[in-house]
Amino acid sequence: MTAFLVRRLGFALITLFAVLTIIFLIVRILPGDPAQVILGDQADAATVAALRTRLGLDQPLLVQYATFLAGAVRGDWGASLVTGRPVVQEVLSVLPWTVELTVYALLIGAVTGIPLGVWAAVNRNRATDYIVRMVSLLGLSFPAFVSGILLLIGFAIQLRWFPVISGQRGTWNAWLQSLALPAINLGLIMAAYITRVTRSAMLEVLSEDYVRTARAKGVPWPAVVWRHALRNALIPIITIVGLYLGVLIGNSVLTEIVFNRPGLGKLIVGALNQRDYTMLQGMMVIYTLLVVLINLATDIVYGIADPRVKLQ
Amino acid sequence: MTKSGLFAGCMGLALAIGFATSAFAQKTTLNVGLASADVGVLDPHMNSATTGKSFLQQIFNGLVRLKPGEISPDQIESDLAESWTSSPDGKVWTFNLRKGVQCHHNFGEFTAADAVFSLKRAATRETSTFSSDYSAFDSVEAVDPYTVKITLKNPIPSLLGVVMNYHGGQMVCKAAVEQMGNEAFRRKPVGTGPFAFNEYVPQQYGKLVAHDQYFRGKPVIREINFRLIPSDAARDLAFQAGELDMLYARQDQASFNRLKQIPGVNALAMNPAEMSVLHFNMTMPPLDNIKVRQAVAYAIDRDGIHQFRGRDVSRQSVSVVPNGYLGALADAPLLPYNLQKAKDLLAEAGHPNGITLKTIHTTLPGMMSFMEAVQAQLRRAGITLEITPVEHATFHQQIRQNLSQVVHFQAARFPVADVYLSQFFHSRAIVGTPTGVTNFSHCKVADAEIDAARSEPDKAKQITLWHEAQRKIVNEVCAVPVNESLQLWAMKDTLDLGYPIKGALNLGPGVLETSRFTK
Repeated sequence: MTAFLVRRLGFALITLFAVLTIIFLIVRILPGDPAQVILGDQADAATVAALRTRLGLDQPLLVQYATFLAGAVRGDWGASLVTGRPVVQEVLSVLPWTVELTVYALLIGAVTGIPLGVWAAVNRNRATDYIVRMVSLLGLSFPAFVSGILLLIGFAIQLRWFPVISGQRGTWNAWLQSLALPAINLGLIMAAYITRVTRSAMLEVLSEDYVRTARAKGVPWPAVVWRHALRNALIPIITIVGLYLGVLIGNSVLTEIVFNRPGLGKLIVGALNQRDYTMLQGMMVIYTLLVVLINLATDIVYGIADPRVKLQ
Repeated sequence: MTKSGLFAGCMGLALAIGFATSAFAQKTTLNVGLASADVGVLDPHMNSATTGKSFLQQIFNGLVRLKPGEISPDQIESDLAESWTSSPDGKVWTFNLRKGVQCHHNFGEFTAADAVFSLKRAATRETSTFSSDYSAFDSVEAVDPYTVKITLKNPIPSLLGVVMNYHGGQMVCKAAVEQMGNEAFRRKPVGTGPFAFNEYVPQQYGKLVAHDQYFRGKPVIREINFRLIPSDAARDLAFQAGELDMLYARQDQASFNRLKQIPGVNALAMNPAEMSVLHFNMTMPPLDNIKVRQAVAYAIDRDGIHQFRGRDVSRQSVSVVPNGYLGALADAPLLPYNLQKAKDLLAEAGHPNGITLKTIHTTLPGMMSFMEAVQAQLRRAGITLEITPVEHATFHQQIRQNLSQVVHFQAARFPVADVYLSQFFHSRAIVGTPTGVTNFSHCKVADAEIDAARSEPDKAKQITLWHEAQRKIVNEVCAVPVNESLQLWAMKDTLDLGYPIKGALNLGPGVLETSRFTK
C-alpha cells in the first residue's frame, strides 16, 4: 500500500509539472493582452507597454518560465495580475465552496442514482424501467443553467423556500438553505449518470451464475440484489463517480454563476477572460492536485469494494 | 385606577409603541446587484471597469463633483473644495478646501497635502491608468493646509473634469497610502466619501458602511452590500425575490419593458450612453477609397438599428461625438440611408458587383447582435460583411494591431467633445503607434482643430473648433456613428436616492448621505 501511494504520488508530481508547463505556454500563446485588460480601453500604447514591463510580460518566455518555476518550487504563486491579491489566498478562499458543492452533489447523486439504477435493473423492460431511463436521459440532456434557473423560479421565487443568492454563511440553517438548490442542480445531473451506469452494471451482474445459485439456495431476493449483486456491480459505478467528480469541479461554473456562488470554475473563467496568467497557473495546480487525489481515492475505493483488486 | 394598574398600562403602551416602531423601522441596508464576478482592483486611480466605478464612487470625493444625477460638465458643484478660481489664461487654478473633512478609518483630516499627493499619484503612470489626463499639469502645490494650486503648461478643455469625483480626480488619503503601501491600499481603499470600505469577498460581495463623520452629514443608509452577480437572469431573479433593492439590469428593450411593468419598481434608462461607431481602416483597400466609405455609410439605416435596439433604451447618433457631450454637433452632415446611392457609389468606385469587408468582432452578445443587424443592412447594398468572432480580450488586442478593416467600438467617455475626438480621431491616437489609443480609422483630418480647441480659452470659439472638427471627420467618413445605448438600472420605488437621476458618470446611481428607504 505504501509503495503504491509513493508511486502514485511520484506520477502525480510528474503530471503536475507537465500540466504547469502546458498551462504556462497555452495562456501565453492565447491572443489577448493582460496589460490592456487591466488598464481598460482608454490607456495609450506607452502606458500599456509600461505595465507589461512592470508585470514582467516583456521578458523572454524562457526567463518568465524560469521565474515561474522558481516561485512554484518555493510555494510562491505570486499575485493576480489583475487584482494584485495573492493567488493562493484567492484560490483557497473559493476552494471550500467548490469542495462542499461537489461533495453534496455527489451525495445527492449517489443516494438517488444507485437505488434508481438498481430498481430499473431489477424491473427490466417494465414500466418503472422505462420511466427511470427516460428521467435519467432527461437529466443528462438538460443544460445545468436551464435546470438551475427553473429550480430558482420554482423554489426561490414562487415557493420562497430558498434564497436566490446562494453565497450565504452564518448559521447552519442559512448555509444549508443556501447550498440546497445548487447541490440539487448538480446532484440530479450526477444522479442521471449514476442511474444509467448502475442499471447496466446491475443487469450484467444479475445474469451471472452466482446470482442464480444464490436464488436457488433460497437467499431472499433483496439480499441477492443489495448484498451480492450490487457489491459486484460497484466497480463501474466507482469509476464513473471518480471521473465525474473531476469534471464536476471544473464544470460547475454554470451552476456557480446561476446561483451566484463562489467557486473554482467561476474563478477560472474570470481569470481566462482577463488573461490573468498567474491566477490561471495557480488554479491549474490546485485543480490538477484535486484530480490526482480523486483518482488516488478511486483506486483505493476499488480495493475496498472488490478485494480481488490489488493495490500494487 | 391603582398604581400598579397605571404602571402596567404605561408598560403596555410603551411595549406597543416599541413594537410598532420596530415593525415600521426604516430599512437601512441597501443591496445592489452588479453585473460582474469581480469589481477589479480597489483603487480609483487604477480601475476603469464599469462595476469598479459603481462600487468605488461612494468611497471617494473629488475637489469638485458633478451634481448628483447629472452628467453634463456645466453642472459642476463644490465637493472637497468649497470654492475655486482660475487665472484669465486658464493656466493657474486655486482650490480652497473645506476644513474638518475626515478620512475614513481614522486617517485624520483631509488637507491640501492629501489633495496634492492624490493628484500627483493620479498623474503617475505606475500608479494610475488615467495619467495621460494630467499630462498638461506643470505643478500641483499646497499653498497652505487648505489651499491647492494647480499650474498647467497649457489650458485644457476641462480642468474641473480631472479633479472631480471621477477616475483620477477621486481623492485618496495620503496617510493611508503611505502607511499601507499601494498594494495594501488596493485591498482596503481609504477616502472621504459618505461610505467607507468594510469588506470585499471576490465573487460574492463588497460591503461599504456609513461614514458618520462625513462632512455633509451622517448617512441615513448604514450599509451597502454590492452583490457580484454576473448572470443577468440570476440578478433579475434575486431582484424579484426581494434580495436586491437596486440592480444593473439586462441591457435591452424587453428587459426594460418587463421591469417597468413590475409594481413597485422604477426602471431607469440613463446617461451616459455608449455610442456604437463603425470605424473604417482607411489604410486598407477598398476602404482607402472615400466613395466606398460613403457607400457603406449610405447603406446603414440608423433608424432601423434604433428600432432594433429599442426606442426607450437607445437613440440615434447625431455626430462622431455622442449626444449631449459638451461640444457635440447636433446637425453633423451624416449621410442618410439611401440604398441606391450606396450601390451607385460602389459602381463608381469600380465595384459594381459589390465588395466584401472583414471585421474582427467581440463575442459579447449585445455588441454582436448590433453587428449582425448591420451585416444584414449592408447585404442589401451588395456589401458582404464577414464577421470573425473572437472573445473580448482577443478583440481588444487584435483591433489594435490593424487586423480588422471595420472596427465596431462601443464606448462612453467623459462628456466633453475633446475626449472622444482626441481618443478616436486624432493622429496621435492611431493604433499601432506608441501614443496610440483607439483611432482605428487612421483619421487625421481634424488634428489642427482638435489641438486648437484644447488650448482655446474662449469657450465659444472652442465649441466652434470642435464643431468644425466633427464636420471634417464626418465628411471624410472616417467612421459612421450609428446608435447610442443607455444604461439600464432598476430599483425599488421605496428607495429614495435623494436626487432626481438623469445619468451617472460613474456608471451606477451614486448613494448619498441623504439616500434612504421610504419604508
